[in-house]
Amino acid sequence: MFSTIEIAKGVSLHIRQSTQFKTVNLSIKWRKPLTVKDAAERSVLSNVMQHSNGKFKKSAEFRSYLDDLYGTVMYFDASKRANDHTVVLNVETVNDQYLAENKVLDDVIDLIQTAIFNPNFENDQFISTIVEREKEMVIQRIQSIFDDKTRYAHQRLTQLIRPNHPASISANGTIEEVKNITPESLTKAYHSMINDDKIDIYVLGDVDVDAIQQKLVNALTFKDRESIPYPEYEESKPEKDYFNEKQDMNQGKLHIGYSTPIKFGDEDYPKMQIFNGVFGGYAHSKLFMNVRERESLAYYASSSYSSHYGLVYVVSGIEPSNEKKAIDVINEQLEEMKNGNISDLELNQTKAMLGSQLREALDSARGQIDIYDQYKDLGEEFSIDKWRERWKKVTKEDLQEMASQLKLEAVYFLSGKEGAQDANN
Amino acid sequence: MQTIEFKQLDETLYYVKLSNGLEVYILPKKGFSKTYVTFTTKYGSVDRTFKPLDEDEVITVPDGIAHFLEHKMFEKEHGDVFQEFSEYGASANAFTTFARTAYLFSSTENVLKNTETLLNFVQEPYFTEKTVNKEKGIIGQEINMYNDQPDYRVYFGTIENMYHNHPVKIDIAGTEESIDKITAEHLYTCYNTFYHPSNMVLFVVGAVNPDEMIGFIKENQDKKEFKDAQEIERHFEDEPTEVAHKSREMKMDVQKPKVYIGLKAKETNLSGEEMLKHEMCVQIGLECLFGRASDFYTNVYENGLIDESYVYDFSLEQGFGFALIGTDTADPDKFAELVFEQINKVEKEEVFAAEAIERIKRKKIGFFLRALNSIEFIANQFTRYKFNDMNLFDAVPVIEQLTVDDIKEAFKTILGESQQTMFKVLPLNERK
Repeated sequence: MFSTIEIAKGVSLHIRQSTQFKTVNLSIKWRKPLTVKDAAERSVLSNVMQHSNGKFKKSAEFRSYLDDLYGTVMYFDASKRANDHTVVLNVETVNDQYLAENKVLDDVIDLIQTAIFNPNFENDQFISTIVEREKEMVIQRIQSIFDDKTRYAHQRLTQLIRPNHPASISANGTIEEVKNITPESLTKAYHSMINDDKIDIYVLGDVDVDAIQQKLVNALTFKDRESIPYPEYEESKPEKDYFNEKQDMNQGKLHIGYSTPIKFGDEDYPKMQIFNGVFGGYAHSKLFMNVRERESLAYYASSSYSSHYGLVYVVSGIEPSNEKKAIDVINEQLEEMKNGNISDLELNQTKAMLGSQLREALDSARGQIDIYDQYKDLGEEFSIDKWRERWKKVTKEDLQEMASQLKLEAVYFLSGKEGAQDANN
Repeated sequence: MQTIEFKQLDETLYYVKLSNGLEVYILPKKGFSKTYVTFTTKYGSVDRTFKPLDEDEVITVPDGIAHFLEHKMFEKEHGDVFQEFSEYGASANAFTTFARTAYLFSSTENVLKNTETLLNFVQEPYFTEKTVNKEKGIIGQEINMYNDQPDYRVYFGTIENMYHNHPVKIDIAGTEESIDKITAEHLYTCYNTFYHPSNMVLFVVGAVNPDEMIGFIKENQDKKEFKDAQEIERHFEDEPTEVAHKSREMKMDVQKPKVYIGLKAKETNLSGEEMLKHEMCVQIGLECLFGRASDFYTNVYENGLIDESYVYDFSLEQGFGFALIGTDTADPDKFAELVFEQINKVEKEEVFAAEAIERIKRKKIGFFLRALNSIEFIANQFTRYKFNDMNLFDAVPVIEQLTVDDIKEAFKTILGESQQTMFKVLPLNERK
């Protein structure tokens, strides 16, 4: 897929020439071990770098210039994966050949260089008014989760079952840590990100590989860097196995967390993927067919496998008075799996869906970059056929074993009616 | 079969109209491994008063029925259609909008088999009182889910504010009370009226061989019998230009107030290239006034009146249309005041500067070129354009030709003071 060269120690450039897309996509990913403080700083940092730079000091000027480059999309974003915090710069620009005139790609590379290496500094520091405004933006982003009950319930459950753990550290940090940021601390975080982070640069599109490689090596003058050690993350556990919380709302949000010893990249990882598919990953799965279709309890009922943290979540939106019944039906589905009550159809459907979805993901440029970026950590050449082969081998007995290894961490129920007590946390 | 070439975009579209009236479009995309197929009827939540097939009297059906029907199409005597799609590795879905109901799947294998499943399940209705009643609990939870979403409430509250009579003001899913009245007979009446092939479009995009696919679809359709196509008679009451409510609000358990400003469109009876041009003009005008490069944006950003939830958008369909500008903000009234101030400038000052308009046109062209990488975008948007007699692939040449005068002229249609409304979602006074 991508061909890789190291342009400095700890800085890799991955390029793939393809005529599949009408645009050229670039992604630059900066990674460092995840902590709450770093997450907060780097989240604000990505906003501040997105706002302006040394050449376009006003946000409107920066935006106008991007519009002029045929609406080139360029944004910084903060995210996390496993124990890493990532700041990413995503760029998408039209392929020159679809325009009657103009050559935009060279201008876009110049702009990337500006956005990264020429920040909007006054006296060698980020500007206080911009930093304060963007701190406020990130605080609002953190607070807005409260208004989206599904996201809120998911966040609360994760905090309750994995307190002070990478699984529950938000990519935006906490409001408290964001408030602590100063132009000085943010400038320090910027230099640390540019000079110390592990960096991966991706280019995908109908490009001349040698030419773009040369241009990027000239434009992105990153220095050699050593890898940063991870801090000791503590093993964290929930205090009890049932929590509920009341808010002013109609629907009840039932979220259940389980743990599994199997994580991304483990030998049994493909078995867990199939387990999750049969249990609740799809519209043919046990949860959908029973909680929704058989019992009419919910509009949505599904499971997801958070493979980097070894967690499985079940979510469903129900009438609050049906809480017990819904939990019973969900437990019943897990029991079915433990007892090996799994049909060949369920198994085959899940294998077909996993294969299809992986192939489909490769139909978007962003999907290709993200999948390659994730799977390259496994130290093998990524291929769909290899994964299909692994899924093909998975048997009912394997799923029984996966189900038996699943351990309930906690049930969290968010609702507005009935006599629920306040969350105990 | 006709072929339509879009040279600048390097795309070829294949088209055929079958004898039963079904229009089929196929767009092969090089390098893609998936195929995405949508089967869409020009029937949405607003089509609630109409003359049923072969009858003389106009009837009004319970609210939420188009969406209810969409749900019920998936259940058959032999079970759930999702099962069949999954078996062949296809992700299936459906959605109902104000004006359309779409059924779709994507898959990387067994595309013909999955296309057959799609055609057959949408063309073989199976409704019983038992299955209809079972669905009421499920859709009731879907309605509850949306009712708990403040972003949805502020959006929909603004639309409700704007309209006196037009059914766009009715929630697409209806209410728990209205769906309770739905019967299997209602579903058959709606199905028979609106799911005739002549009221539908099949769009296939991705890794597809057009000749093979067309042959397969033809064979499938030739095996089925349909009544002759009839003109569908829909009824809508007259809708005044002015909004129904100038300002309303509601309280919810939110962190921060939310506010939307709605500008009700006066010109809602366009189609074809005229509509495409009008829609693009208003969108470009809106971007010029409220986009991230505007003075307005700089001002509200620097004064802390917006956050990342800030949005502005214009949508237009046959019979209704509106611009919306909204955000979460600590001071919704101040934000609204500045929005109205900005709108009022349009008639007094030269706000649409040639240079800014050229820049936004470029941005919009870039947007379309990027969007053509997404086969989901192409399929869904192509059908929406088609139902309004527009062509998605004309968008770029149309934008290239727009002038400042075109934009001024089009923008006038959403400017009237009586067309303006505001809706707020405010936090509860006391936290529990």
